[in-house]
Amino acid sequence: MTSPRTRVLFALMAIVALLAALAAVACGGDDDDTGKQQADDGRQEFKLGDLTIVDPWVRTTTNNVTAAYMTIKSKGAADTLVSASSPIAGMVQLHEVITEGATSKMQEKPGGFPVPAKGSVELKPGGYHIMLMDLKQQPKEGEKVELTLKFEKAGEIKITAPVKKATGSSPDMDHNAHGSSSGMGGMASPTAGSGR
Amino acid sequence: MPRFSWHTLALALAAVALVPAAVACSGDDGDDTSPGGAQYMGAIVTPPIEKPDAILMDENGKPFDLRKETEGYVTLLYVGYTHCPDICPTHLYEISEALKKLDPDVRKQIKVVFATADPERDTPEQLKQYLDTFDPDFIGLTGTRDLMDKFQVALGLQPATRTDLGGGNYAVNHAAYVMAFTKDNYAYTVYPSGMGQKEWLNDLPLLVKKGFRKE
Repeated sequence: MTSPRTRVLFALMAIVALLAALAAVACGGDDDDTGKQQADDGRQEFKLGDLTIVDPWVRTTTNNVTAAYMTIKSKGAADTLVSASSPIAGMVQLHEVITEGATSKMQEKPGGFPVPAKGSVELKPGGYHIMLMDLKQQPKEGEKVELTLKFEKAGEIKITAPVKKATGSSPDMDHNAHGSSSGMGGMASPTAGSGR
Repeated sequence: MPRFSWHTLALALAAVALVPAAVACSGDDGDDTSPGGAQYMGAIVTPPIEKPDAILMDENGKPFDLRKETEGYVTLLYVGYTHCPDICPTHLYEISEALKKLDPDVRKQIKVVFATADPERDTPEQLKQYLDTFDPDFIGLTGTRDLMDKFQVALGLQPATRTDLGGGNYAVNHAAYVMAFTKDNYAYTVYPSGMGQKEWLNDLPLLVKKGFRKE
């Protein structure tokens, strides 16, 4: 007597589970794939052991200071960017921007920028940057700047970074900070963007 | 009867199981936390900031009466410094890009003012050269240290302090956000780091056409 009913129930529950799983996949699916695609689509990458430096760039300037940005990924162990240098700068520091109430403060980051194991650290406006000071020449849009990055474990790598006015037209920061799960990626805006 | 109840139960379970999935999916676009239906994306400041009545020096070395010169305009005011490699150029770039995309009729009702927190280094020439890389219409303001400090206090800010970086270099700790004064000379919204073109393109037409009145 009960068996046909339970069978119906189980069948329905199985469907429910399947639908839920599909919904979950549809939600979180984009992350890894887009990352790779973008990497193939003309992103600039430099590799050093387990580390990959992605899309470095240096900001144009009209005086003797500027900043360099990039994303540093590790597919293996954790590491730390401990220092950097550039032939165009007399002094280079690793800086963080801290905002307390109404004031933003830029200062040297003690110990450098940690790169998490199997993770990444993003150097971007409002957060971390490589501060280039006492510039011997002003980097102009379209030029390339040579940078040497020194990591605690992986050692040194020389990279070249294009000079740009800004990150580009895609402001990829989502300031609504929902945890870390589906962080950045150029696809963030379509839903939230009421840009008219 | 019993069969019907099994079905009901199963359907209820199905509904319950699907709801969280649906919520999880739509989570990102549900941020309708705008005040009183005005749909502003900027951060609301209470009480609003009054536009200071100050006469400073502009990027051409001429006296600039802030109240008089910006009367009747939406005025975006930012206190920064040209040796700022990070936040200042990001704000200025985002504003300049948004302005290019705005309806020209809205655009012409907006003035952008960059006041320096580093008057020792930011001469009018330095300001002009810097601002011209973003938009030649941007206004740069400087003055004596005392004047610039008072100006910041009038805006509800701490006078900027320095962080020594060594070798004669220093960073200036300065305002974290851009203030948007509406035509009534008050700023009801500010735009911290991280807000960019999307927020400006949304808010600037509202600021110009509607202003920000208490409802």
